Amino acid sequence: MATDGFAVPQEKDMPPKTAQIPATDSPAVIAARRVRKTFGDGRVLALEDASFDIRPGEFITMVGPSGCGKSTLLRIVAGLIDHSGGDMTVHGSAVTGPRNDVAMMFQKPTLLAWRTAVENVLLPTELAGAVTKADREKALSLLELVGLKDFAFSFPSQLSGGMQQRVALARLLQTGADILLLDEPFGALDEFTREHLNVELMRIVAEVNATAMFVTHNIGEAIFLADRVFVMTPRPGRLARIIDVPFARPRKPELQLTPEFNALVAEARAVLGGLE
Amino acid sequence: MSASDQIDLPKGMAGGASTRRILFNHLAILVCWVGLWEIGSRAGVIDPLFFPRPSDILVGFWRLYITQGNIWFHLGLTMAEVVAGFVAGSALGIGLAFVVGLSDTVRRFLKPYVVVIEATPRIAIGPIVIAAFGFGWTSKIVIVMLVCFFAPFVNTLNGIINVDRDQLDMFRSMRATRVQTFRKLILPEATPEIMAGLRLAMASALGGALVAEFIASNNGVGKLISTYTGNLNMASAFVCVLTLSAVGFFILRGMEWIDRWLVFWTDRKRTEAVGRKRAQRWQKGGKL
Amino acid sequence: MTSKAFFVELGKHLAVFAALILLWEGASILGFIDTILVPQPSEIWKGIVDLYFTRGIIYWHFGITLYEAAAGFAIGAGLGILLATGSALNDNFARYVAPYATLLNVTPGLALTPIVIAWFGFGYGSKIALGAITCFFPVFVNTLIGLTRMDPDTSEMFRAMGASRRQLFWKLQLPAALPMIFAGFKISVTTALVGAIVAEFSQGTAGIGVLMQRFAFQLNGGAAIASLLSMSLLGLILFFIIEIIDDRIVFWRRDARMTAVSRQKRAAWARMRT
Repeated sequence: MATDGFAVPQEKDMPPKTAQIPATDSPAVIAARRVRKTFGDGRVLALEDASFDIRPGEFITMVGPSGCGKSTLLRIVAGLIDHSGGDMTVHGSAVTGPRNDVAMMFQKPTLLAWRTAVENVLLPTELAGAVTKADREKALSLLELVGLKDFAFSFPSQLSGGMQQRVALARLLQTGADILLLDEPFGALDEFTREHLNVELMRIVAEVNATAMFVTHNIGEAIFLADRVFVMTPRPGRLARIIDVPFARPRKPELQLTPEFNALVAEARAVLGGLE
Repeated sequence: MSASDQIDLPKGMAGGASTRRILFNHLAILVCWVGLWEIGSRAGVIDPLFFPRPSDILVGFWRLYITQGNIWFHLGLTMAEVVAGFVAGSALGIGLAFVVGLSDTVRRFLKPYVVVIEATPRIAIGPIVIAAFGFGWTSKIVIVMLVCFFAPFVNTLNGIINVDRDQLDMFRSMRATRVQTFRKLILPEATPEIMAGLRLAMASALGGALVAEFIASNNGVGKLISTYTGNLNMASAFVCVLTLSAVGFFILRGMEWIDRWLVFWTDRKRTEAVGRKRAQRWQKGGKL
Repeated sequence: MTSKAFFVELGKHLAVFAALILLWEGASILGFIDTILVPQPSEIWKGIVDLYFTRGIIYWHFGITLYEAAAGFAIGAGLGILLATGSALNDNFARYVAPYATLLNVTPGLALTPIVIAWFGFGYGSKIALGAITCFFPVFVNTLIGLTRMDPDTSEMFRAMGASRRQLFWKLQLPAALPMIFAGFKISVTTALVGAIVAEFSQGTAGIGVLMQRFAFQLNGGAAIASLLSMSLLGLILFFIIEIIDDRIVFWRRDARMTAVSRQKRAAWARMRT
């Protein structure tokens, strides 16, 4: 993807700084201005003045060690926690709480054990109002999209961890939100399943034309998935660098072996390693 | 300390011929026990005042159940007290737990009292209730109610507050109302704990009714046991106790069955069965 | 919680308590609460003062019920552990003990009260026996579950290191089962108290249960509730004794204890090496 209009730090030994906010022509779908979060009456600074713009259809990953504020930031975008300062807007309106155009997925599948897969997928529709035949068809087709057509009436206890997360993904898509927030969704799975699901995720996100923010603590995964990587450092949590990932899509796993890929990994590592 | 569940004994092994042999062994041992007991009793080695003869017990069964048939009335009365008290007490306990569970502050201030009540034998309130309500069945039901209140209350409360944080967040992110979150998440999630509390309450209920009858009553199985023992008619007393064992057994089985039916998703076979049923209902376009 | 925060919290609880008592007293005086059914706080206080200070008769009875409950618990829990260990170690034993244990479980133990009294007489024996019978099962089942639920990976490791059956029991099974066993103890000790008290109700001359029953039938509600509260105190004492023993023996569950034991072990090792 082209890096139109963004100022990318050119030298690797420049001090880490947040990306400047450029004037672009496509309106940002998620915009943050000096968003900060403190806990415990201002004693703990979890997130310090994050500012960024995310354009529609971008796949953003956030990477960093524990305590860097990435999950906090994601939850602020989701409206699940309040920010202590700054502005956070989605689709032009300020974020004051959970909203219809933003959907979130967690590391645990959080499926309801007493509902079948398709009933789990229908949960958001149920909560919003009546369930129509069209909704049911959509749920079934979403399950097919994530590759679980034959498991529509299975219960979570009958599904593997990877399959459960796929159901959670289908549920995410059922909401119809065009902004998808994912907090280490495949972190609990083994590497092979995770890689497979990552490729699937990219395909699905592209297919539904959604904007995605994905949290991980794995640098390689972050770069593999993203159009841009938000590299975050801890104590206090800061958005230290935004790295552009210019590789074409769809991306294949073999990309991770190329020198260009590893150069970006090295860049991210430098930012993160520069703390000690 | 929490009113934790009484877990079933680990099940024995399954399987054809070995099961039959085990069953045979069990029966054989039982027959030996009973035989030795009978012989020892007749030979004067075992005092029939302490351990009534098996033959006397059998005769007692015949008499209490058929000839005299008095056990039916008393058993019915006791069970009525138990059921009424159980339903009222548990309903109160569960209901109150839902109310308290919604407010963290109320819970915090309630905690010390819960701890004290947990350490007190609830049944000890018996004499006070009887002194207040008299010898009739009202006091028995009140006692059973009090006994059956606590475990469902504590367990339901635990079930409600221990709902997974991520699940709650997920519901919040889908903008569910409080009522929706309660009906679709908290209630089903808490059901296993609620069932555990009800099982505990049921176990105490029967004991509670009997103790109430021991203290002061004119009717009921407890009174029967009291009277028979007082007259040193141990055989009949044993008949009553064994009857209660049978009742207790069926109640336990019944509650297990209800538990498996309600909390189907922890049992593999039930899960499959429910899955199939739901698939069928879906094809017919029925309500979920 | 810091100690200042603790006292603040304690203060809040005391304030709530005081408010409730005042409300209760007020409602009783104004006639909203029937004082025959529910004695007034002032009456209860009078009862407490009388029992604990003026006449001071509660101490003797307290000791008796404590003794009955403790003895009942010791016997019932002891038997429970013994039979459960036997069942855990030997499959046949388990198979043949199981039905009788189940029978004991489904029979309401308290139903046996008159029979137990007929067998053991009017003295301490029946109270202790009833306590033992009622508290047997929780210990039995918890110990059995604790001993049989072994982590398969850990037991494989033991076997790979050539551990004998006996070593496996003492070094893995038993320590791993301790949390579960103590959970059973906590349930059991209050159950033993229930057994002792119920036996006192039916036939007793001494003990808090007897006191309470006497006061109740004399319609001395205040003293009756005061006795009931003494029972709570007894229950709490028994519970806390088990808690303390639990904390000392199953030290790996609390950070503070673990650190203390760490230090002790380090010192012991240092002494060994010199």
